[in-house]
Amino acid sequence: MKKRKTILIILVLALALTACGGANTTPEAAAPEAEAEPAAAENNVFIYAHNTGFPDLNPASSFSDDLLIMANCYETLTFYNTPGSEETLSPKLATAWESDADSMVWTFTLREGVTFQDGEPFNAEAVKAAIDNTIALEAGASYIWAPVETIEVVDEYTVQFNLMWPAPLDIIAAAGYAAWIYSPKAYAEKGHEWFNEGNCAGTGPYTIQSYERGSRIVMAQNENYWGEWSDNQYQTAVFQIVEDPVVRQQMIEAGTASFTHDVPADNLATLDARDDVVVYANPAFQNLVGLFNTQKEPLNDPLVRQAISYAFPYDQFMQGVIGERGTQSHGPIPAGIWGHSDDLFQYSYDLDKAKELLTEAGYPDGGFELVYTFATGDLDEQQAGELWKAELAKLGITLELRPMTWEAQWDLGMSGSENAQDIFAIYWWPDYVSPISWLYGMYHSEEETLFNLGYYNNPEFDELIDIADAISSTDREEATAMFIEAQEILVNDAVSLFLYDMRNTHLARTDVKGYVDNPAYPHVVFVYDLHK
Amino acid sequence: MQRFDYILKRLVMALFVLLSVSFFTFIIARVVPSDPAAAWVGPHPTREQIEKATIELGLDKPLTTQYLRYMDGIIKGDLGTSITTRQPILTDVRTFLPATLELVIAGMLIAIVIGIPLGVFSGAYRGSWLDHLTRLVSIAGVSMPAFLFGLLLQLLFFRYLGLLPLGARISTEVSLFNPIETITGIYLLDSALTGNWVAFQDALKHIILPAVALATYPVGLAIRMTRSTIIEVLSEKYIMAAKVSGIRQRTIFFVLALKNAIVPTLNALGLAFVYSLTGAILIEIIFSWPGLGTYITNAVLSVDFPVIVSVTLVMTVFYILINLLLDIIQAIIDPRVTLQ
Repeated sequence: MKKRKTILIILVLALALTACGGANTTPEAAAPEAEAEPAAAENNVFIYAHNTGFPDLNPASSFSDDLLIMANCYETLTFYNTPGSEETLSPKLATAWESDADSMVWTFTLREGVTFQDGEPFNAEAVKAAIDNTIALEAGASYIWAPVETIEVVDEYTVQFNLMWPAPLDIIAAAGYAAWIYSPKAYAEKGHEWFNEGNCAGTGPYTIQSYERGSRIVMAQNENYWGEWSDNQYQTAVFQIVEDPVVRQQMIEAGTASFTHDVPADNLATLDARDDVVVYANPAFQNLVGLFNTQKEPLNDPLVRQAISYAFPYDQFMQGVIGERGTQSHGPIPAGIWGHSDDLFQYSYDLDKAKELLTEAGYPDGGFELVYTFATGDLDEQQAGELWKAELAKLGITLELRPMTWEAQWDLGMSGSENAQDIFAIYWWPDYVSPISWLYGMYHSEEETLFNLGYYNNPEFDELIDIADAISSTDREEATAMFIEAQEILVNDAVSLFLYDMRNTHLARTDVKGYVDNPAYPHVVFVYDLHK
Repeated sequence: MQRFDYILKRLVMALFVLLSVSFFTFIIARVVPSDPAAAWVGPHPTREQIEKATIELGLDKPLTTQYLRYMDGIIKGDLGTSITTRQPILTDVRTFLPATLELVIAGMLIAIVIGIPLGVFSGAYRGSWLDHLTRLVSIAGVSMPAFLFGLLLQLLFFRYLGLLPLGARISTEVSLFNPIETITGIYLLDSALTGNWVAFQDALKHIILPAVALATYPVGLAIRMTRSTIIEVLSEKYIMAAKVSGIRQRTIFFVLALKNAIVPTLNALGLAFVYSLTGAILIEIIFSWPGLGTYITNAVLSVDFPVIVSVTLVMTVFYILINLLLDIIQAIIDPRVTLQ
């Protein structure tokens, strides 16, 4: 009796598995002709199947995936162009801007004839009030405005920022977080809750029409938008929350979604081969590094740090784990951002060299233990650790892999160089697009540890990046050269394991035209730029 | 009177259960190494932001004070604020619970309507081909993971047949052109009440697959429980007597026998209902169903302790209420059961 039951279970499971297998190997054969829902394009509706919800729709504090909604409802003073553009920035709500020679006083000339979605006029008063309010709130990424001392209204369409220290305010003003200009009146009268109920009060091309929390946000054209509307633009944009990657893939295949991202990487090739889906793969402004604890033995010795950098199997990791999702890093600044250089030295897998360096450092047979912490559930970080552990074992070094929640890992990292982990796996992306975000955030000396979790302390390096940052608006070329020089120091010092620069993959239906991936605004689709 | 005393006694006991559940969940959720203040302020915060958040969230106070503060809020009907969604948890639960309830109730209805009759037939005609087939269904139901079944249903009904939608509660078009007016948050009910039949039809189409997937386990359970109790009851003398006196077979099976056999099944289904509330998690994710499951998953992944504690409390309340309800139903159906 029991045996018979077992056979039955096996049969059922086998059936189930064949059904699954069949679906994965021959998706073409099953291209759905009959659809349960009408195709998105027919109704002039753009549907974005998005993997997460939108936790905070308040333009002053939003600091998450809600960026996607912000970017269609609000606008910034300046706009960060896609990599490869001639200019780094282009005008948005500001039509022109300039700074004094020291980058201490910035003047923005504002676009005329713009109104907020609540009918309020857009002018210098509004810009001042909105940014002052964001700064005062001290939430989200408001600290990007830290250099600002005062904001002055020069005349109705001119606003002036007086800084406490030199900073590239033109780039800061293009940030995807905390730089949105919203109607100060709406904020003062209605506040945080009102925005999160699904309302917006920006100057942008779309406005929120309805919001079903956890399901979707529907946005409609803002009739009073200062830009022109043409017939082939989308009237409605739907941002639908679909957590399961396989389901997102099915939706883009069936045409029930116009756009999506983050589908199972193994299926990208099949999707790319389809006529009705376009796969966009571009560098993201994000990378993965393993910060070495430079103050604690044995990693306080640069030779040991170099040795373990040589012991990482880069090719195996890139080919076996990352595949199309990224490229091996050249130093700490990801590809595509100004200040990145492909000429920086790249460590490669070389156990003999590692052994040599270890002998020189006084550890010919290894004989020490290292703790590597990473975010629980992050398979890339985990597999990097596993591959590395096997190689380090050959050198007599034991690597302990310790998965932790991000907050716990961070807590341990901040607990002082003596207690902290030896290697801290961390992803980094910028608040506003500048190499300083990486270099200052993770490597500038700190009085109290925050993100310099490798406790790196090099006054020469600090000075170099401080100067480069100060001149980054007035003399971008010189700043770039200095940032590259600073990175050379980091690479020679082997302060981190430089793992990989991420690539983003987005998928769109072929009839969606005009999409350009802009990694400065991750996963954002500016629906206004699209047409059919 | 006796029944009233019993209910009162149960409710007092429930209070203690709730107190201890809240206490232990709170402590466990708080001693897990994590820093809620850091989670509150976002990805790249400054020191000052974290310190400000620590004070704002009351995390600088001792754990017992934090617990008492939390309970004080609960008594006043405030379930706290979520660290990840930054919304009052009560608002979140009000938004997401109806979706889950709708799904779970639909699943349980399927279980009752399909599972119990199949169980009766299977038990009554033991050894027949129908019995073998039903047992196969029940074993498959109990042993196949619901999420796998869900994916198979999607493949079959969306991809190959194109009959039913892939996920979500209603389709985008309907939400745009025939939006449902929220009364209870249960779409089928709300659309029916407001006479919005386009939306009703659409919501019904959307709920079929996830509800069937969620019903796999309860259907299997209902079949097995009903079958075994029916077999037991059918050998009792009063059934023999009924048979001899020429009462119709269907009446014997579905009235006389089932009345006595249904109590354990209902008990099991009651528990399955509560389990389904949490068991719906995977189904909700696969079917993009915006319910409590998706909400709690994200909360657990980000150690959003106020949400974990509050949702656990809400689940416990359901568990207690349903158990109580079952006991009362039992006593009504079967007079031999006394409430003590």
